[in-house]
Amino acid sequence: MSTIKEYLTNDHRNCDELFASMEEVANTSLQTAKEVTQKFIDASERHFQMEERVMFAEFEQKTGMTQGPTAMMRHEHEQMRGLMKQLIDAIEEDNKDKFFGTTETLMILLQQHNMKEEQMLYTMAQQHLSAESNRIVDMMDSMIVE
Amino acid sequence: MELAGLSTDQAPPISAPLRFFLTAPFFAILAGILILLSDSSTLFSRYSIESIAITHAITIGFLGFVMLGALMQMLPVLAGVKIYKIKTITLYSHIILVLGVVFMVYGLYFSEPFINLLAAIFLVFGFLTLLIPMLVALKDVNNFSPTVKAINTSLIFAIISILIGGYLLFGYFTGTITHIHLIVADIHSVWAIFGFVGILIIGVAFQVIPMFYVAPRFKPFCKRRVVHIISAGLLVWAFLNIFFPEYEYIAKTWVSLFFFAFASAVWVKLNNRRRPTSDVTVWYWRTSSIFMCIGFFAWVFNSYLDDAYIVIISVIIGGGFILSIMIGMLYKIVPFLVWFHLNAKGYMSIPTMNEMTNKKISIAQFILYLLSVVGFIFSYFYPAILVYSALSFIISMVLLEYNIIKPVLVYIKTIKTKPDFDMSAFDMKV
Repeated sequence: MSTIKEYLTNDHRNCDELFASMEEVANTSLQTAKEVTQKFIDASERHFQMEERVMFAEFEQKTGMTQGPTAMMRHEHEQMRGLMKQLIDAIEEDNKDKFFGTTETLMILLQQHNMKEEQMLYTMAQQHLSAESNRIVDMMDSMIVE
Repeated sequence: MELAGLSTDQAPPISAPLRFFLTAPFFAILAGILILLSDSSTLFSRYSIESIAITHAITIGFLGFVMLGALMQMLPVLAGVKIYKIKTITLYSHIILVLGVVFMVYGLYFSEPFINLLAAIFLVFGFLTLLIPMLVALKDVNNFSPTVKAINTSLIFAIISILIGGYLLFGYFTGTITHIHLIVADIHSVWAIFGFVGILIIGVAFQVIPMFYVAPRFKPFCKRRVVHIISAGLLVWAFLNIFFPEYEYIAKTWVSLFFFAFASAVWVKLNNRRRPTSDVTVWYWRTSSIFMCIGFFAWVFNSYLDDAYIVIISVIIGGGFILSIMIGMLYKIVPFLVWFHLNAKGYMSIPTMNEMTNKKISIAQFILYLLSVVGFIFSYFYPAILVYSALSFIISMVLLEYNIIKPVLVYIKTIKTKPDFDMSAFDMKV
């Protein structure tokens, strides 16, 4: 079974692939990109919730740190949720400039967020939660998105 | 591992990197004006005072400033480090470095020994007040990724090159330029360009290209070994250059081969990227890879020609390879920082990154820049085109400044007019 770090890092790459597919389709026609955009948003939302409701919660309980790194990551999740709403707006308005302007911003935000998680937070989480690693990965894997 | 490493106030204030980014094009414009006013024959001698002054307006004033700004921004993200008193340090070091570059150009041009002394002190002090806290902060990092290792190595090369640079500039105060100065100047320039800048670019590219362009990752061998191999090559080169100059080309070939391998890897990764967008930053990466390949081969080949073309090679490597990466990065980082800091302050209806810069101007800027670099290279053979190349360079840098000031004006305007519901009360300090 993969560790918390491996599991969530792989999920980042899955989301990246969906992001690229979304841009690929949108590049030809924005209207046909609705489905794949929703797919990307759903996958990202699932990832955010796996962290917020499972991993961050366990990490905060174990370390007692509720205002530290996890708070910052939750805040950045909110920023990304805002941008994802704008992606749907851009499709509805059929505004390609707005769509790609938003994906550009989202991409950088997403990647610098992922870097912080992969370089630091996941490593910290793996250290503190190593004994419960399998249980936490199981919980994330079977989580139902709210 | 420091648990507080990732805290909400960890990113530096927006003013810290921006003051460095916004100043950089002004030094490039200064360099352009100096080229315009200089006689072409003096510029084609590497050791002429004019060449040294103009080179440093670009290498310190533009490249150095952009790299320092980028390091401040990237270190917290890439390594989770918090740089001690970053706001105060950047404020003062920025002023000191600006004065340092201005003094250096003035002191050299007008042969003012005392001004050269001030320049040496200001530049060494200005760089070290930033670089040493960065190096110290990196000591606490446990998860040493290949990128962090590369940054660490590059900072060590930077500090050595700067100290050597200070020593060389001090020579213009005492008025004693000896044979030793010439050998040391070689080490200074090669280690600064390949050790500091080259290794930094390689380390950042490992992380940035696969992530931002959804491109294939670099091979583990490349990520783990290339920095060591190049660093060893640079050390061997310095040794050969001092004691066995007739064999230095061996180390040059060694270093160049690995930079060449890296440049071709960048090209291939960009070809295989998943993201379809091809904006000016992709063009800049590609331009940079091409100049990197040409530059390194020319550098090795130049050994057989008694270093006759070293000025052209400096233009290819400094102006073509490095400058283009820095400009490309500015187009991404400045609008992003503005968006990120405004959004974090609770402003939701802000322009997207793409709307903050003028796309047409960035294309014009790219073309003018490219023309100027090619023009500078050929002006060695056709001096008449030097003036046009310098003009093209100046205009391209003015356009660059315009395009990076534009997002900053959006930031200032938004903060002043508060266009939507102000959520600053809930502000997470970013």
